[in-house]
Amino acid sequence: MGRSRRDPAPPPSWSVNPLPHPPRPEACGNWVRWGRSMEGKPLKASAKSSSHHGSGGSSLQDIRNMWTTATLSQPKLNVQLPTVREDSELEEVSVSAKTLWLDEKAGHDAEGGWEASDGGEDKDRFKPEEPEELELGGDSSQGSRLEEDDSKTDNEKPSSVSSLDISRHTPHRAYWVEQQSRLPLPLTELMENEALEILTEALRSYQSEIGRGHTLTKQLQRYIEGLKRRRNRRLQVLAI
Amino acid sequence: MKLKQGSFLWYLYLDKLYCLLSVRNVKALVEYFHLLDVHRKKTLNDVLFYHFLHHVTDLTRNQITVVFNMLDWNAVGEIGFDQFYMLVCILLAQEQNHLEEQFIFRHSRPVFELLDLDGELKIGPDNLHMYNFLFNIKKQQLRDLYHNFDITGDRLLNYKEFKLFTIFSMDKYQESQKAEKEKKKEKALLKKKLSQVNQSQRESLLGIKPFESISNYNC
Repeated sequence: MGRSRRDPAPPPSWSVNPLPHPPRPEACGNWVRWGRSMEGKPLKASAKSSSHHGSGGSSLQDIRNMWTTATLSQPKLNVQLPTVREDSELEEVSVSAKTLWLDEKAGHDAEGGWEASDGGEDKDRFKPEEPEELELGGDSSQGSRLEEDDSKTDNEKPSSVSSLDISRHTPHRAYWVEQQSRLPLPLTELMENEALEILTEALRSYQSEIGRGHTLTKQLQRYIEGLKRRRNRRLQVLAI
Repeated sequence: MKLKQGSFLWYLYLDKLYCLLSVRNVKALVEYFHLLDVHRKKTLNDVLFYHFLHHVTDLTRNQITVVFNMLDWNAVGEIGFDQFYMLVCILLAQEQNHLEEQFIFRHSRPVFELLDLDGELKIGPDNLHMYNFLFNIKKQQLRDLYHNFDITGDRLLNYKEFKLFTIFSMDKYQESQKAEKEKKKEKALLKKKLSQVNQSQRESLLGIKPFESISNYNC
């Protein structure tokens, strides 16, 4: 594709490589249902799973339910669940949720709460580039892992699980499932940095053409400040 | 026209066959457009549009104004996402291995409508010349275009004539690609032969030297 000339800055694999295989219909359906449900009401645990998707669909619903109850049971987590949002301003909530999730993870790591099968992998896999790798090649593996883990949880533990077990397993999976709907972090950073540069230049034009006191100029100024704050917060999160 | 290296658009790519962005690329582009949509109107005004193009390309102020007027087909003074997407595809077609012919061939109708500024369903040579920097149509090509494809003889191209031109230029482009590939193959073959000849010469030289030393010893 003649990309050999672009060696110094290899493009993120997310934008370059389309999905090699079409995603499984049940995974797509679950993704869409999950995204839609997270936008609206929180889910309630359903006793009967849908026969069409078998154990995968019901296990995902249980995960979602445990995710919602996990956040409710934790007194410190006063933030709403990060949902699939289109409005970039609401990204701040998801960033704060991520930071809280990170704190929670750190706490659990200290307690030894994460099991070896999940914990070690979590530390290595919690990188901005990971979501696209999971998305590209890991649909089946992630789905099977989900099913395996969920079948274990279903068989071994009753429906009323302890809050410690909930926080151990479900936020991690729900986080990654949600990440599949988001853009990778390096791409978001690049976009935001570029947008900031463009808008800063536009602000100068606004100020010179229509004046500093104009509504549009003030709106643009506030927007730029909001973008900068968000970028700084993200940089702080990454620094941690 | 060149895209700024390392800019966000530089990382996007068009499908070579259909000259469109993939769904993932579109998703990223939507987010990017949303970031630039400062006033939350799902549009970019002329100032934002100018600064965007000025930042990511090497187009001049006049050229950017021409592009804006071309895309603002509703004459509302703002560019929506549809027009933005179209522009990005045109920019990428030029940037990536010169896919302009392919792009114009695949999307002849929207391109024709873009070039038809007056809405007369006909394109004059001035229209094409005005957008030369976007579609990279050379002067000789323009002359051939109006000489060979102006069937009605009114020195204007209707859509059918324009479509014929796109098919013809696509064929020409494919032939030139084939010719280039053959040239490259020939070069590669020549190189191989040369290297083989050199190797055989070296081997023959090495073969002579030990023989000479033995014969000297015998003498």
